[in-house]
Amino acid sequence: MRIASLSFRYGRRDPWVLSDAGLVLDPGDVVEVTGPNGTGKSTLLRLVAGLLRPVRGSVQDRPRVVGYAPERFPADQPFTVASYLRHMAAVRRVSSESIGRWSERLGMDHLLGQRLPDLSKGSAHKVGLAQALLAEPGLLVLDEPFAGLDAATRAELPRIIGEISARGGIVVVSDHQGDLRAFPGLRRCEVRDRAVRELEPVEEVGETALTVLEVAVAASRASDLADRLRAEGCTVHIKGHTKGHITGGVAREAAG
Amino acid sequence: MTAVIALARFRLTGYVASHRALQPLIALLALLAVLYAGAVPAGQEIGATADSAAMLVPVLAWAARGLLDTEPDEQRSVALSALGPRELVSGLLAAFASLLALAAIAEAALLFRLAASPTLTVLLTGVWLHLLSAAAGLALGALTSRPILPSPAVSTIALILGYLSMLMISMAGARWLTVPVMAWMRDAHHGVLLSGLPLLTVQSLLWPAIGLAAYVWLRRTRP
Repeated sequence: MRIASLSFRYGRRDPWVLSDAGLVLDPGDVVEVTGPNGTGKSTLLRLVAGLLRPVRGSVQDRPRVVGYAPERFPADQPFTVASYLRHMAAVRRVSSESIGRWSERLGMDHLLGQRLPDLSKGSAHKVGLAQALLAEPGLLVLDEPFAGLDAATRAELPRIIGEISARGGIVVVSDHQGDLRAFPGLRRCEVRDRAVRELEPVEEVGETALTVLEVAVAASRASDLADRLRAEGCTVHIKGHTKGHITGGVAREAAG
Repeated sequence: MTAVIALARFRLTGYVASHRALQPLIALLALLAVLYAGAVPAGQEIGATADSAAMLVPVLAWAARGLLDTEPDEQRSVALSALGPRELVSGLLAAFASLLALAAIAEAALLFRLAASPTLTVLLTGVWLHLLSAAAGLALGALTSRPILPSPAVSTIALILGYLSMLMISMAGARWLTVPVMAWMRDAHHGVLLSGLPLLTVQSLLWPAIGLAAYVWLRRTRP
């Protein structure tokens, strides 16, 4: 997939958000889009997903099946989670069995009977992710997917992204919190001054210096903390018990 | 095509489940109560049908706009990511289906209030005129929907002015310059509607077709 000399502004009198931007995305690429607030990350994502038409330039060879999860899931709709996802599965022409699979992976089984307007922000966000994942997308565009998610889902999402990448899908993610930094082979792009600039991969910056921390934590919280630390890019080994505590080693990249 | 219909069904379900579907329905029932306070005398059936179709246009336009605007903008983006430009076809399809339901209620009320039992000609003419009315309502509703006119105030004024301009231009006798709603009523009451129906149909569908083409074109840059 190729983004060529792309320029975009919302109206004739509005300033250019992107100007002559280019990016080539190969099958299996996972791209993190970064940049200060209001510089056009979401606009770039919407252009990539095909929700906006470039004013100039083009987006070529976009995969046929596109999954898009917006930054804020529109929860103000008169459906339960289950009926919303059933409708979306029908629109995507996939079997409604996939709803069960994704709601289990995203830890939202218990939400299926709830009405969308009653959901918390994080729960609504999971529904947004689930609908984007239903159709096994060849291009998955996620706008701030980690915002408001619980630790278990924050740890699961990189695994899901990894699976899509492994079967040749392209994943484009805007991420403020850096949850994907530890993702192997992650490409990083920065949107700044109307241009898209490719940044150095994280590994090259951080792979030299590792520090080992020892953390003691109550046994009941160990796996939760381990998931959270893994989601932050640490390598975690759980070692053993000392009077109701678990100690473990955390290797953290000193930089990045 | 199935995905388009599935999305239309999703939108219709959302429209009915939200209170928005009630607004044009209540307006329609009020309009019908006024129109049919007295029974329609024998011989006036086609005239009454044309009156109903002409007066229904703004209600149907409001309903079409309501259906298209029920969905939050981000949900429309999700639909667009799933279906691409076919999202638009699905929206128009769902809106037209909702207009058919309202037009059917109007037609049923008319038949119920006829003094004489209706002939097949009266029935078919009624159905035909209400379809023309639905086409005009669909185009006007789509052109005033949120992606095209984001301000609710501007869009409401545009909808009302759109209908008033239909009335005034067609009252002046110009049949090709707008949807000739006044000509529907005038021809029906003068007993010349049936003989001129093919031409009137072309005249009545011309502007809705142009309006819908404009809607499709405008939506390219207004997702």
